[in-house]
Amino acid sequence: MTQLIWNGLFVGSFYALVALGYSMVYGIIKLLNFAHGDIYMLGAFIGFAMLTSVGVIPASLSITALLIVLLLVMISTGAIGVAIERVAYRPLRNSPRLAVLITAVGASFTLEYGVAAMAGPNPRVFPVRLEGQTFDVLGARISAPQIVLMVVAIILMLGLNSYVQRTSMGRAMRAIALDPKGSLLMGINVNKVITWTFFIGSALAGAAGVMAGAYYGKIDFLMGFIIGLKAFTAAVIGGIGNIKGAMLGGLLLGLLEAFGSQWLGGQWRDVFTFAVLILFLTLKPTGLLGERVTERV
Amino acid sequence: MKLRIPRALGMAAVAATVLATTACGGILGGGGEKTADSGPIKVAAVIPLSGSSAPTGAFMKNGMQMAVDEINAKGGVLGRQLQLDAEDEACDPTQAAAAANKAVSNGAVISVGGYCSGATLPTLPIFQKANIPMIIPAANSQDLVNQKLPNVFLINGTGAQQSAAAVKFMVKDGVKSVALVDDNTSYSKDIATETKKDLEADGNVKVALATSVTAGESDYSSVVHDIMGANPDMLYWTGYYQEGGLIINQLKAAGYTGKIMVADGSVDASLIKIAGGSNAEGVLATMTQTPDTIKGAESWIADYTKKFGSAPGPYSTQSYDAVRLAAEAITKAGSTDGTKVIAALEAIDGFELFSGPLKFTPEHTLSSGGFQILVVQDGKFVLKDALS
Repeated sequence: MTQLIWNGLFVGSFYALVALGYSMVYGIIKLLNFAHGDIYMLGAFIGFAMLTSVGVIPASLSITALLIVLLLVMISTGAIGVAIERVAYRPLRNSPRLAVLITAVGASFTLEYGVAAMAGPNPRVFPVRLEGQTFDVLGARISAPQIVLMVVAIILMLGLNSYVQRTSMGRAMRAIALDPKGSLLMGINVNKVITWTFFIGSALAGAAGVMAGAYYGKIDFLMGFIIGLKAFTAAVIGGIGNIKGAMLGGLLLGLLEAFGSQWLGGQWRDVFTFAVLILFLTLKPTGLLGERVTERV
Repeated sequence: MKLRIPRALGMAAVAATVLATTACGGILGGGGEKTADSGPIKVAAVIPLSGSSAPTGAFMKNGMQMAVDEINAKGGVLGRQLQLDAEDEACDPTQAAAAANKAVSNGAVISVGGYCSGATLPTLPIFQKANIPMIIPAANSQDLVNQKLPNVFLINGTGAQQSAAAVKFMVKDGVKSVALVDDNTSYSKDIATETKKDLEADGNVKVALATSVTAGESDYSSVVHDIMGANPDMLYWTGYYQEGGLIINQLKAAGYTGKIMVADGSVDASLIKIAGGSNAEGVLATMTQTPDTIKGAESWIADYTKKFGSAPGPYSTQSYDAVRLAAEAITKAGSTDGTKVIAALEAIDGFELFSGPLKFTPEHTLSSGGFQILVVQDGKFVLKDALS
């Protein structure tokens, strides 16, 4: 039981990190960024390239090396996210929503098969593997790498939350989410804020990618697809557009999966997850923490 | 008048269709006749050259190319050269069907491909329709046999034979309870179901858990949790190496101390790398002969390594054998005509393959399975028990 809860929370923290980017982008420009899951994959591959170019890293330095790479990957995937927004989304910002959705799918395929063409279609084994002893906590086995990754994920999420709540950029983001035209009239540089949103969201997804690579050890060019859908589900459960909702949704989805597959069997895990998505979209489309938007006259 | 136009159109359409089909038949038939008399004999190989199984596809292609080159150097077949036409199926049923169609329109007279059973299945009716015999070197799901197509021959043990070998080893090894985990693909599910059936019939080993996972994910903590809960003496994983490596890694991290056995789809160096560290050490596998485990294959391995610059891998030998067998059948038939070649294949008795002398069963499978047990030792798969 405690093992199930821990498994769920651990997987859920990955979903939450990726879901944050989905939710932020949707909250601000009402776009479902389908390329977001592939940024996660890109993060894993950039981390892989950086670590292999360094050569053999002694085991004692692996955590330090990984944290440095994590930071560098966050900057690179952030920049790539910004570039995607500039090339694929900004020219279409005033087009119908469907057009942007379709470019998002196009951007997703471009990233997937671009990586497949450059790095090859075979799965790669991550050069640095997080390993460590395991502890017994209330009957659940918890390993040191899991704790490290959870802590990194929580720090990133808390950092983002205080950034959005406390800084002027965060205030501008919230303002645009509420009323883009009004914010423009109040003198907010909307383009700059959207650029930042993409940067932060993509950086978090990239971080999740590196963490997944280091923990699971295997990366491949399609790894972003499923997690992208799961993160979207997490964002919907929590209330899409809501940052706290994305975190809550991620953790909840992890738990739901852990208990769902325990109850129905592993092969039903995805069926169960996406059935929950459908249920939420039909019964409570605003999610757990989302508020019903009232039209003001 | 109003009625006549559609009727005229309809007749025109019928005429066009008839013309088109006969023209097509003419082109295809004519093409076939032409290639049947002169030019190289085209040997099709629908194998995974990209995707998750691409490493094995490369080993297969090299093995085939080696046989083709050797046969051509000796003057070819019926005085004509062999030409290998390798088409990529990426282990994907849709792409496999397209690849098979391409091979047929390229003028193939025999097929020597087939690795992923799920992808090989839809190619069977395509080759059957074109009356092209298939010698399948690697794919071994019972589903392939169950189609009962006259043109399909398997020179690898089937899922049923693999399960039988697994059960034989479990009983021999004193395993009391076993967890069966598959990845829901045709190949994997087939072995898991057959093994379960055999174990229940045998009665010595209890099936503690039988479950499936979704391929392509990273986190298998739920199945790991189930396995830990069932606490079996042995886990038998019947899927491919990517998920297999992850499951071994996560099982060891969860403190599993029982035995682990994997099926032939997981026998790949990547399994050991993905499992990480010493986690794969001692993992058992049911596998058909690989070059490393065949006695007397040393010179063959040396030739292969010299030719391609790297050592052969899984299914190199079977692929090599498939081409040799194809050449033998065409020579015996004295023609590239599908029906005659199929008859020649059925009549083959005692043709020496790596796995031993060949004679097909009425189902067109090997009369002896040739499965053996490997074990990971010092980061490599080595022979543990030949099960003979």
